[in-house]
Amino acid sequence: MSGTKIAGDFLSLLAEQKLLSSDSAPAGGAPVQTQATTVFAFHFAEGVLMAGDRRATAGNVIVTDRVEKIIEVDSTSLLAIAGVPATAFEMARVLQTSFEYYRRSQLQPLSLPARVRALARLLRDNLSMKLQGIGVVVPLFAGVDHSVSPAQARIYFYDPLGAQFQAAGYAASGSGSGTIRSILSFQERHASPKPSEMDLRQAVRFALSLLITASEFDSATGGVNPDTETFATIKLLKVSGVETITDQQQKEFLHD
Amino acid sequence: MANRREYVRDQLKGGSPVFAVSLPDGILLLGVGGGQSKVFELFDRHALAGLGHPADIEKVRQAAIDAAHLEAFTRAAEDVSLRRLISFGLSPQLKTQFDQIFSAPFLVELLLAELGAGPAQDSLFRLHFDGAFQVQAGGAVMAASQPEAESAGQTWLNEALRGKTGRTEAADLLLQAWWCQVQNKWLAESVPDEAQRQAGWRAAVTGKTVEIGWLARHGPRPARYQTLSLSELGLT
Repeated sequence: MSGTKIAGDFLSLLAEQKLLSSDSAPAGGAPVQTQATTVFAFHFAEGVLMAGDRRATAGNVIVTDRVEKIIEVDSTSLLAIAGVPATAFEMARVLQTSFEYYRRSQLQPLSLPARVRALARLLRDNLSMKLQGIGVVVPLFAGVDHSVSPAQARIYFYDPLGAQFQAAGYAASGSGSGTIRSILSFQERHASPKPSEMDLRQAVRFALSLLITASEFDSATGGVNPDTETFATIKLLKVSGVETITDQQQKEFLHD
Repeated sequence: MANRREYVRDQLKGGSPVFAVSLPDGILLLGVGGGQSKVFELFDRHALAGLGHPADIEKVRQAAIDAAHLEAFTRAAEDVSLRRLISFGLSPQLKTQFDQIFSAPFLVELLLAELGAGPAQDSLFRLHFDGAFQVQAGGAVMAASQPEAESAGQTWLNEALRGKTGRTEAADLLLQAWWCQVQNKWLAESVPDEAQRQAGWRAAVTGKTVEIGWLARHGPRPARYQTLSLSELGLT
């Protein structure tokens, strides 16, 4: 019965079993990469809303409009991926397994700071891929902070090298993020209600409007179109857990 | 080997038994301890309950969690199965440890549960300290330190649970069986009546920790394990 080198650390277990993938340099020119954008998160009255379009592109080719970029890592964490899906989905899988492995083996959940740093560690480990111009991932992360009373949902964003920052009100990533951030900033400073004051209906309608607007200025961002059954991925992080706003709910909110 | 077997059984004597029962809505696991945990989540649809030396239970638990998560990561969560985990992992390791004369055998008696699509697909494994194991689909399984009493208790339990579908009434019966087991009532001339069993377990758990694990058959998330308290089941 062998133990792990670091108690509860799934990456140590993978390394011990020689199951960590190597990130050696690719031969010749890098292939055209599939990319995925745009994602964002903001605080609303009931917690954090995290949303993303569903488009993945490779160069000027639309690969699919059915990518899920908002991933429920566990019952108290959400991950939004922007960048190369191949790398991002693997990071999400490592995080999902790591958090559950820690909780089950150590009989307590991983703290929010440790979760935030776990993602930073994966981004740092991906550095060589980034320096080659491939595998760039710039994610967003949201988690529930149980160290304060009452517990609160928080948003974090990262730079490509793994630096982590807590967002006061909102964060966005991906090629359409410039548009999203501008609108969020305007809404926060000059409009009413502020995103943090929106109820669920207002927040979902606002999120859908953000994506529709971003898609008008960025070809890599998929829009929202009920006529073609094209919707966003929207998840809510509350202290009580994660909820998903389904396509049907989005359709109803749009027609309200 | 006979001496080692006697030694292990003697060391385990007095250990508090653990139970698992398959119900329409999930699998209920139950153990009563004096501080050390006896019921654990292993993976999304898998749980373990055991009695014995806490350090030995911990080694088996950790090995099972490691193996399950490696399997899920390298293949898929759907590929994690108790049959493979026990047949090719835990059982051979326990047997090796038991057979090696110059090392101490594991002081454990375990049961492991795997949630299926329905009660008929649930798998309940009884894993012994020497690596031997039995598997059954659905029903109830009990792990105790003495084989004769365990066999008698399990027969009574399966009969008593017939037609019972709710987790509250199932937990109540498991606690009655637990009290009969720790009071050595199975091998007496007659098993105490229900009123005695009810009063017995309620008095006997005072100052102890009743651990109840629940693997829910339906749920929004892959991880189906949750802990329940007696008050949540309406048994206080």
